[in-house]
Amino acid sequence: MNRLKIKIGGESGSGLLSIGNILVDALNEMGLNVVADREYPSLIKGLPSCFIINAAKREINSLSKEIDILLAIDKQSLVHYFDDLKDGGILIHGYERLSGIEDILKKAEGKNIKVVHLKARETAIAQGGKVLMSNTVLLGMLWKVIGCDPKFAELQLVKKFEDKQNLIEINVKCFKAGFENVEKILEIEYPKNAEKKIIIDGNHAIALGGINCGVRAYYAYPMSPASSILTHMAEMSEKTGVLVKQVEDEISTVQMVLGSMFMGTRAFTATSGGGYDLMTETVSLAGMIECPLVVVIAQRPGPATGLPTWTMQGDLNLACYSSHGEFTRLVISVSDSEDAFYLIQEAFNYAEEIQIPVIVLTEKYIAESKMSVPKFDIEKVPIKRGLVKKEELASLKNSDRYAITETGVSKRWLPGTAGAYYFANGDEHLEDGSLTEESLDASEMYAKRLRKTDYLRSILPDPEIYGNEKDADISFVGWGSSKRVIKDIINLENILGKKLKVNYLHFSYLFPLKEEKLKKFFEDNHNVHLIEGNYTGQFGEMVEKIGLKFKNKLLKFDGRPFFVEDAISYILKNV
Amino acid sequence: MDKNILQKLAENSEKYMQFETDRMITWCGMCGNFGVQNALKRALTLENISRNEVLFCYDIGCSGNGSDKIEGYTIHGLHGRVISLAAGAAIANSRIKVIAEAGDGATFSEGVNHLIHGVRNDYPIMFLHHNNQNYGLTTGQASACTIKGAKMNGAPYGVYEEPLNPLQIVLSLNPSFVARCFSGDVPHMTSVFQEALKHKGFAFVEVLQSCPTYNKETPEDWYRERVKFIEDKKDYDVKNIWDARKIVDDQEKEIYIGVLYRNEERENFLKCVQGRKGLETELVDEVERVVISPAERG
Repeated sequence: MNRLKIKIGGESGSGLLSIGNILVDALNEMGLNVVADREYPSLIKGLPSCFIINAAKREINSLSKEIDILLAIDKQSLVHYFDDLKDGGILIHGYERLSGIEDILKKAEGKNIKVVHLKARETAIAQGGKVLMSNTVLLGMLWKVIGCDPKFAELQLVKKFEDKQNLIEINVKCFKAGFENVEKILEIEYPKNAEKKIIIDGNHAIALGGINCGVRAYYAYPMSPASSILTHMAEMSEKTGVLVKQVEDEISTVQMVLGSMFMGTRAFTATSGGGYDLMTETVSLAGMIECPLVVVIAQRPGPATGLPTWTMQGDLNLACYSSHGEFTRLVISVSDSEDAFYLIQEAFNYAEEIQIPVIVLTEKYIAESKMSVPKFDIEKVPIKRGLVKKEELASLKNSDRYAITETGVSKRWLPGTAGAYYFANGDEHLEDGSLTEESLDASEMYAKRLRKTDYLRSILPDPEIYGNEKDADISFVGWGSSKRVIKDIINLENILGKKLKVNYLHFSYLFPLKEEKLKKFFEDNHNVHLIEGNYTGQFGEMVEKIGLKFKNKLLKFDGRPFFVEDAISYILKNV
Repeated sequence: MDKNILQKLAENSEKYMQFETDRMITWCGMCGNFGVQNALKRALTLENISRNEVLFCYDIGCSGNGSDKIEGYTIHGLHGRVISLAAGAAIANSRIKVIAEAGDGATFSEGVNHLIHGVRNDYPIMFLHHNNQNYGLTTGQASACTIKGAKMNGAPYGVYEEPLNPLQIVLSLNPSFVARCFSGDVPHMTSVFQEALKHKGFAFVEVLQSCPTYNKETPEDWYRERVKFIEDKKDYDVKNIWDARKIVDDQEKEIYIGVLYRNEERENFLKCVQGRKGLETELVDEVERVVISPAERG
């Protein structure tokens, strides 16, 4: 079996997350590559929500729409998610009154679906457990069905309840009762001596990356899907000493970040599109006073409140073109839990070295989906502060701070560290920051700040090619989580029986746009398409503005990520 | 003025002069900002705070136009947001005294939420509220502090809203330091600023500031006739918030100036914030690798 595709459905608040996480951790522990995402409505209790888990021996990065196994925690989710189950799939449930689901069971028979059933609640109570532990019974059933060694799951149960010894025993009993009373159906292949991977979501990776590169303050106002960065930062703060502060609103949040960065520490904030709207005036100020600033936008569909718990790549234009006036900025996008750890660190280096605002885009799908990734290389990204050397501090002049230079970058030193000082002036200013309204002075300073764009473009890394560089049957250009689905397509041996060459050009650094390799990619490949999670093809427009033309565009804006099937059916129509 | 203070300033004239500028000042003649700036420079000198130990943060408006008229590290930021900006800066390096200044428009309209939470959190900054009862730099519109009935730009028939009482609002927030001064009395302002500079938490200082160009209702003389020193008030307890709330209620007859309330027992933000307890270093000195594994929690 190439890819095991499980969906666990249950009401929000039904304990779905706990068994989902135990399952995900256990599969990862076995050396499988796991991708897992939650789909849930914007409310705290009630209405169906689900946990989608894909696992495979080989590398996988994205999710499949098709489901092999549906584990339904309650009737509502059984009804809601039943149609997602493929013909010949497996339904696991613990519902007691079968007469209530006769229709579904009849349908299951028609679709040749194997039904695995135990009275889960009764079983849990018989083991001395409570009603909620019927979930553990269900987990045991699932674990047997996929043919896994129980020790991996039991280990996770022990971990999960390590603070509550009395719960361990009873949960293991419930698990065993589920495990032992159903039949094995599948045989899952897993690597014997695989290098251990970590399983982590994108927000957690961003938090760890920030801490790794010297972030000492994190300010935030809660907004899905960025909120869990605050959770992670706060829960780690006793250990890291990072100052974590929930602030009264997004305007204040980003102002506090700017103040802390100005003084000379590393700080950042994360929000979603609506929260970022409120921050844009400060981004403009950072551009003007050339103060480093790092803001993460965790995208969800808009406009307005949109679909608050779903995913999108809809805020690229917001990141690139928001804020009044013209100034140099950098827009970076992460794509998964791995590069999130490294790119947040790069963001700080560029922000400090070029003295600009850097906006880091992520997506709900990246922020909250868990993924098996290699252990992080903590030394991969050096810390580059862009400050003048200590020996130079004594000889600085006030006018060095905003000196007109060829690259546009001037010397930066921290308040209180030198005899020379400066005015960080939101009004147009001279080289020492003092106010000017003179035509020549104003235009020279304006141009200096914008010259940093060309300089930045010249030092930014090129986009990356996945697959062969040339002569693909179909090629894609994209950013963000699009990479994950196309990488999985490239790794397929064939696409529904067809041998097709697919390649992909991925942009982590989106704005300013690096053009050279992009143009070459279009020259080397005859059938180049855009893949982007929005309606207008925002990145596509940036690409076409330099005279390139996509053959066609794969766009999606329903709040769901690109599934493997989305890409496959598009490819078959466009080769 | 106390002769000893003048003597002390004379002895420390070099320190005083480091803040002095030769740039052209652009405030109107008789503007209250001259007095405020002068008193601030004096207070810094007397408290032995040098140019390298202070950051001045300015809001937008006439007071903000002072941002390059005092020599030292300054930020001239956005309208209404200076408290947040200053708090972020102060948190990062408490070796540097952070002074934030804003007018009544910024403080009690555009950014009133930041004031509320600034006081609530007791961020370690000195905050100067320049209350000239109007929007000066946009040519004399009414602010939330303008007296009812005053004819202002944009309100030709007179302001019909009740004015806010700034100190009553601040005192309702359980502050740690509240003071009021009058821009026409530099020696008194100097001594109040000195107290504010010494305070460890959020020091709220209101300056009743004359605006000769746009504030016709409460000009310099209007204040001069009404201000009284809090030291002269009998049986007044500066540690009793209810004494303070009672006395600031009167905005028209007897206007008391000086340090009106202080709570030295309250611990400021840096002493309370999670994860930082027991740490003596500054955030600016800590920017380096900190490794924590994905499984670790606090």
